[in-house]
Amino acid sequence: MSGPTDQIELRDWLAATAQGDAGAFERLYRATSPKLFGVCLGVLPSRSDAEEVLQEVFTTVWRKAAQYDAALASPLTWLAMLARNRAIDRLRTSARERAGAAPIDLAEDLHDPAPSTLAGAEASDESRRLETCMRQLEPQRRTLIRTAFFEGATYDELARRSGSPLGSVKSWIRRGLAQLKACLER
Amino acid sequence: MNTRADIAGEPPEGALTAAEYVLGVLDADAHQRASARAQRDPAFDADARAWEQRLAPWLDEISPVPVPFALWRRIEVAIGIAPPGENEQPNAASSWWQSLQLWRWLSVAGFAAAAGFAALFFTARISMPPQPPHEMVATMAQDDGKPLFTATIDGNSGKLVVMPLGVKIPADRVVELWLIPPGDKPHSLGLIDAQQAWPVLVPSALRSALAAKALVAVSVEPPGGAPHGQPTGPIIAKGEIALL
Repeated sequence: MSGPTDQIELRDWLAATAQGDAGAFERLYRATSPKLFGVCLGVLPSRSDAEEVLQEVFTTVWRKAAQYDAALASPLTWLAMLARNRAIDRLRTSARERAGAAPIDLAEDLHDPAPSTLAGAEASDESRRLETCMRQLEPQRRTLIRTAFFEGATYDELARRSGSPLGSVKSWIRRGLAQLKACLER
Repeated sequence: MNTRADIAGEPPEGALTAAEYVLGVLDADAHQRASARAQRDPAFDADARAWEQRLAPWLDEISPVPVPFALWRRIEVAIGIAPPGENEQPNAASSWWQSLQLWRWLSVAGFAAAAGFAALFFTARISMPPQPPHEMVATMAQDDGKPLFTATIDGNSGKLVVMPLGVKIPADRVVELWLIPPGDKPHSLGLIDAQQAWPVLVPSALRSALAAKALVAVSVEPPGGAPHGQPTGPIIAKGEIALL
């Protein structure tokens, strides 16, 4: 994942945070918290839950910044995935029903990547590759996988919202993921 | 359960569980189990990390959302890096925010009291200013003139406090604050609370626009705020910034 903020700067701040540098931690927070808040709000229907999760994410970062491994992910990817994971944890444990969740229409191909995703020099190779491979999936698999990623929806929720049998939804997604992996590794 | 016959012929269970875990489709129990497994099974953890990398480009599509200013204070307190009196201007900075309790109390007392208090508050601060005071106010009113919010603004620090004066917002909507310099387009100052006084820190790039004659406005937006950086819902109240 690329971003406007300098990844090298973020990496330095993470490293300094691991040494207990509160100033670096605050700069890291200022630079990344709006993005991470966007990630949390995408998954969690409740704004106050999203705020609590964001707070929890940054307290975790403060304590566990040393666990960041630059060989495995960019700083922003690591942080955003951590936030996404915590938001999904929260979504699963809170009994709150997702209120405004729209039905999913599998007959219609909802996959319409933002123009910036495919065109333009700023689109990274990774993002172009992911989109190319996603385009090779059947539309229903594509739609389900994207919805799952952006909303953190479970198999059950996807089945309910798409009006499809649970077994089929599981099967479509699993096959889609296997296809995606094979394509990305080519 | 994943043991049904209808998924026979699909790829090995372990690799897919990591993918399903990262994608976020597992139910509470399975998600918990996968999370615990990632802690103790390095191969599974590596698999999950690899999936995170594969899907990471999608994170670019998620728009940043302004974070309430108060959240940083909560984090500082939670991790114990905010011992009072450690920063270089602790008194000026924290007394402003500690007075939020008063601001909250005031939201009941209404606009007249608020204006009076704002005047007192700023007068009191003038006695020990680190810089020449640069305090401003704005009353944001409906088209019919009824005030819905007031804002008190510290131009030096770029902090402002917005106070709702009894405004009703649909439960599935949020309110977003905008700064509109003369002749310019609206710039988001983030989401605010329609029920209680709300502190906002204006980004440094916008500080210079925080001046008399600029407008502040409030719009009603979908959850998460205006998606493309410009108001999408109705502007319910606006008002001009004035020097105090």
